[in-house]
Amino acid sequence: MRILLIEDDTRAAEYLVKGLRECGHVVDHAADGHDGLHLALTGRYDVIVADRLLPGRDGLSIVRMLRADNNATPVLVLSALGEVDDRVAGLRAGGDDYLTKPYSFAELLARLDALCRRRQPYVAERAMQVADLVLDVHGQTVTRAGHPIRLQPGEFRLLEFLMRHADQVVTRTMLLEQVWDFHFDPHTNVIDVQISRLRGKIDKDFQPPLLHTVRGAGYKLSESP
Amino acid sequence: MNRPRLLRTTALRIALRYLLAYALVLGAALGAMFWWTQGRHDTQRDAALKAELSRLVDAAHGSAGATLADAIAARMAQPTNTHLYLLVAADGAVLAGGWLRWPEDVDADGDVHRQWIDEELLPPGRFDDDAYLPVAASRLEDGRRLLVAAVVDQPGALYESAEYLLESLPLALLLALAIGAHTAYAILRRMDVIGRTAGEIMGGDLSRRVPVWGHDDEFDALALRLNAMLDRVQQLVRGMREVTDNIAHDLRSPLARLRNQLEVSLLERRSAEDYRNTLARAIDDCEQLIRTFNALLGIAQIEAGSRRGEWTTVDLGALADDLAELYAPAAEDKGQTLLRDNGRGVTVAGSRQLLAQALGNLLDNAVKYTPEGGTIRLRVGRVDGAPCISVADSGPGIPATEREHVLERFVRLQDSRDATGNGLGLSLVKAVAAMHKAGLTLSDAHPGLIVSLRFADRAA
Repeated sequence: MRILLIEDDTRAAEYLVKGLRECGHVVDHAADGHDGLHLALTGRYDVIVADRLLPGRDGLSIVRMLRADNNATPVLVLSALGEVDDRVAGLRAGGDDYLTKPYSFAELLARLDALCRRRQPYVAERAMQVADLVLDVHGQTVTRAGHPIRLQPGEFRLLEFLMRHADQVVTRTMLLEQVWDFHFDPHTNVIDVQISRLRGKIDKDFQPPLLHTVRGAGYKLSESP
Repeated sequence: MNRPRLLRTTALRIALRYLLAYALVLGAALGAMFWWTQGRHDTQRDAALKAELSRLVDAAHGSAGATLADAIAARMAQPTNTHLYLLVAADGAVLAGGWLRWPEDVDADGDVHRQWIDEELLPPGRFDDDAYLPVAASRLEDGRRLLVAAVVDQPGALYESAEYLLESLPLALLLALAIGAHTAYAILRRMDVIGRTAGEIMGGDLSRRVPVWGHDDEFDALALRLNAMLDRVQQLVRGMREVTDNIAHDLRSPLARLRNQLEVSLLERRSAEDYRNTLARAIDDCEQLIRTFNALLGIAQIEAGSRRGEWTTVDLGALADDLAELYAPAAEDKGQTLLRDNGRGVTVAGSRQLLAQALGNLLDNAVKYTPEGGTIRLRVGRVDGAPCISVADSGPGIPATEREHVLERFVRLQDSRDATGNGLGLSLVKAVAAMHKAGLTLSDAHPGLIVSLRFADRAA
């Protein structure tokens, strides 16, 4: 991915750039809002990461300028302001995702990946398939290797989300936010338990396993680990 | 109190304005009264004047020439006489009345006219100057002319009272001024007290309050309002202070642990595996720190009421379903049963996220403290019409004496030491309940604990 990082905290930017490059991405860095907007308007990026509070021009106004220029590059807004109101403001300004500091690097990576792939033309498929696992959205049915699998409504939504993001790492927070629409820390490992339950239904009696745990990050549904 | 400030006060300005209005109205009333009384007086006097003239004329017709002069002399001699008389012969010689001569331009038609009379014509001693007098004159058949004039005498009583009023006016003004000044002073004094209190509060003493005077007036209403505001401010500040203390208390030790752990790992050359483990542990510690920090901040934000933007209508039944779905597998993993008692169409005004977080904390606690084979019951319904949601478990419960205590921050009961958690779960529930104006009660489930949130009745 080609990533533009607009972040004024030089130390944070330093290891974000390092981390993203080590993960195989091409990263440009702008240390203030003006440079950031200039790069965003002139360069071609798959995704932009913009800090909300920047010298010169704040992150939200960069997003607005981009959208006004018909630039649809996905933007992830980073912010130290974590209230739901701030989040709503960030998304309303045209941001595609919002991440509150402090966040984990794995969370950032997973979300950037999700944003980037979402950009590719998305067809509202009737059925989705990963290896021999098939999910029929309209019929609300799941089969693996032709055998029907009975899922609870919550499990179905969880699997649907994982299949839409097949081959991507999804974090626990992403699942909690996008499958259950809860934006809080549930303390206990409710998501892990949900995943292991789902795994018991789709992976236990079949080979190869499809639902993988990615250490320190989250989960991934894919044919290969 | 310095004078210029008193003079600048609204009360005094109002007093002065009333004073002016009072003076104007008084003047107008006096003028009207004067005009009206004068008119009546004049009419009466003119009638009397005319009657006197005709009486004298009648007397002249019925008697000899000398008699009229005598009659005039007799009248003038009376002490109560208020008229001037003049009788002249046909050739103009003055016969009676003591005048110098007949004044010109007097219509001898028997009617009353008001006229200026030169001083020199008038009988000496009565006037110092030309006089403007009501005069009635008549020509007798033998050519003599008779004139009667009224000595203009203003209605004395009226004049006197008007004079009193005019004399008392400065006194009234002074009195009004004094009352205005007193009122202004009283208001200023009370405002000063409020100002002084504000100053003391700004100086850092948040416990100061504006005194309530007990007059049940606007100032008391203002004082009560200000005090209510100060109570709220103090509560918020206390909350903030608590948060700071708690952060100091609860974040310092894990931060120290984190730091020392990293320092120790740098003391000697270690294997890559060792470093990796240390770093992984450090990340876990960070995670825990962030959680505690977020929980504290979240509670503070809720208590400060800064999350009102998320307010919507929340369907408690649907929310409970979502939460039950999320937590049920975790409960089942511990061999517990999570039951959902349905209450459809029970809605409250509130924040879905915060209510979910509060209920999530309760479910989390229930899963943590309920033994294997236990039951957790999530119930939504109405109690006496009021929306109600409760979480009951079949765990050890909380002794009645400890129930208030556990709602405080960082409290974990002795026997739950082993369980993980930061001790902030219930204080968040408490803050969310307070924000939604819902009653939070902890009671005995025989066995176990019931935590219920009872909202204000919206159906009523």
